[in-house]
Amino acid sequence: MIAHRAELLTQEQVQQVHEASLEILESVGVLARNREGRDLFARHGCHVDGETQIVRFPRAIVGQYLATCPPTFTYHGRDPRYDRTLPDDGPLVANSSSAPDILDPETGQVRRARSEDIARIAYLVNELPGYDILALPVTAEDAPPGQFSISRFYPALKNCLKPVRGSAPSLEEAKAILRMCEQMAGSEAAFWERPFVAFQYCATVSPLTMDVESTEKLLRYTEWGVPSFGAIVPNAGLTSPLTLLGTLAQCTAEFLAETVLVQMVRAGTPRVFDALPTAADMRTVAYAPGAIETGILTMGCAQMARYYQVPCAAFVGSTNAKLNDAQSGYETGMSTVAAMLGGVDLLAMGGLLDAMMTFDYAKLVIDGEIGLMLKRITRGLEFSEENMALGVLSDVGPGGTFVETRHTLKRARTETFLPTVADRQMRHQWQSGGALDSEARALQHVRDILRRDNPAVFSPDVDAKIRAQFENLVPGDARL
Amino acid sequence: MKEKILERLATAVIDGDEDEAREGATGALQNQIDPLEAVEQGLSKGMQEVGRQFEVGDVFLPELLMAAGAFNSAMEILNPEIEAQKKNVTKLGTVLISTVKGDVHNIGKNIVTTVLDINGFRVVDIGIDNSPLVIIEEAQKANANIIALSSLMTTTMPAQREVIEVLREMNLREKFLVMVGGGPVTREWAEEIGADGHGKTAIHAVETAKRLMSQKS
Repeated sequence: MIAHRAELLTQEQVQQVHEASLEILESVGVLARNREGRDLFARHGCHVDGETQIVRFPRAIVGQYLATCPPTFTYHGRDPRYDRTLPDDGPLVANSSSAPDILDPETGQVRRARSEDIARIAYLVNELPGYDILALPVTAEDAPPGQFSISRFYPALKNCLKPVRGSAPSLEEAKAILRMCEQMAGSEAAFWERPFVAFQYCATVSPLTMDVESTEKLLRYTEWGVPSFGAIVPNAGLTSPLTLLGTLAQCTAEFLAETVLVQMVRAGTPRVFDALPTAADMRTVAYAPGAIETGILTMGCAQMARYYQVPCAAFVGSTNAKLNDAQSGYETGMSTVAAMLGGVDLLAMGGLLDAMMTFDYAKLVIDGEIGLMLKRITRGLEFSEENMALGVLSDVGPGGTFVETRHTLKRARTETFLPTVADRQMRHQWQSGGALDSEARALQHVRDILRRDNPAVFSPDVDAKIRAQFENLVPGDARL
Repeated sequence: MKEKILERLATAVIDGDEDEAREGATGALQNQIDPLEAVEQGLSKGMQEVGRQFEVGDVFLPELLMAAGAFNSAMEILNPEIEAQKKNVTKLGTVLISTVKGDVHNIGKNIVTTVLDINGFRVVDIGIDNSPLVIIEEAQKANANIIALSSLMTTTMPAQREVIEVLREMNLREKFLVMVGGGPVTREWAEEIGADGHGKTAIHAVETAKRLMSQKS
């Protein structure tokens, strides 16, 4: 365990960020473009200007609705063994989501992503122990008309027993996905007892604007009771102030505005402080999710989430690198370590290159390994009298070796994290094994998994029922 | 006096100072400076300097936007005069301008567009990153005399050659004059790929365009 989270702010400063966010909500307000949302705010005590559509929040109202947020958020998997509750089971690791392009695992060329990529990645996430949650990794170019979301959720759910999260562009499609899930679960009641999908919305468009359609998603998902979460995505210098502290204050205000609305719809709905805060590279205003500032901002969000006693999730570990090079490794490594030490409970971090534009199979495997390393950090030094190991130390004595003791033997497989991608051979062994770099080794792992049949795939009769409902549904086959 | 005012305009753009740019523009008109000259020798010089510094990373994007803001606020004052002058000039010809496939750097191209426009050309600017076929199709639609191709990067320069090759394949090479430009583009390159001319700077591009039109007629 980690005795103390890495905290960049004192408790007093956290309080001041909270005060600043209340000040933002009270005096600047939020532009709420959705009429139903505005009416709800007004009915429950916010000040709404009908002309400008600006909603201002009295402090007491924010406090009142914040108080009904439960401290936990549960993700269900198709198989209950994979159910995970934040923050208790954290830190959790999910892969990253929604890249339009993918590096083809066989040709190495960038191409548009397809539904079979989702099937394969789902199978990989199911098999890779670093991951707890499958996020819909890419878009699907081959989706039949009107089936964009089904073509993503179906291959994902078909090939993975872990919780699946993603977004649907319209409520109609969200309903279709839920209908499909009910079939998978066996009945409507069985699904809603343990809903094994979570929907994402982006109700807030920074700065301080709540969009029409995605606010409607927030309202409906909350009413339906499907697990859902809203990502807050400010970009310092463009859509938030170019100070990390100012961006944190805005991000917090945006989280609070969404939270208040969710609790107004249905008190007690679980919330996650879910953020992707970044700082633009002001030389060209390039989007720079791999910058170290992402890690720093995320640590701030985690501190605010703890102050509000809600779990914190963050999109971290991104990179602007175009391939699995040193930049890819250090950008992913550094921001995720920062986030993890800062107390982020769920890290969405696997598989993306090129500022979230391109998914890569090899990076998915590499990042899964980074996820396991992060989890090893949280095990920490495992403080106990037994682990102080004074007994074996005195048995071996000065000048001896520990390699042959029973004490060592007993712990050889568990004390340290044993990587599958990272290479620890002698140079001559590595050379005779083909002198493969980490990307080549990761791709070998991808092929090893994808050439086996996937036991996670649901039964043919369930599949037949689903396919009967959705004509021309994509195959969702994960084999390479 | 004139030199001072032109320099003031350039500096105002470089500093991104809108008030200063407006005052400079007003001063230029009060002192009977040709508004085209105020743009070419004043504002554009400043913009070129900012563009150059941006390409090497000394100027950051917010500063570039401020410079463009200053440029535009001066143009608001100069434009009515320029329009009045233009009414008296018949168009010298139509130029279709674009950056080539793979190149998104449009600052130089935009300056050339402005300077060609104020020098009496009708300019159809179809933006950035256009394929040879799109460029040729648009040139036909616009009934252009000249196709002007911009490329900032050495890696996208071959796309200039490609446009000329596609024109040949479509038997349209004789229909259009082709001129090329952009940071790394030289006269030698223009000759090598069979372009009709090149523009080293915006002003040079105007000279080239005028020369090509007069040779043609």
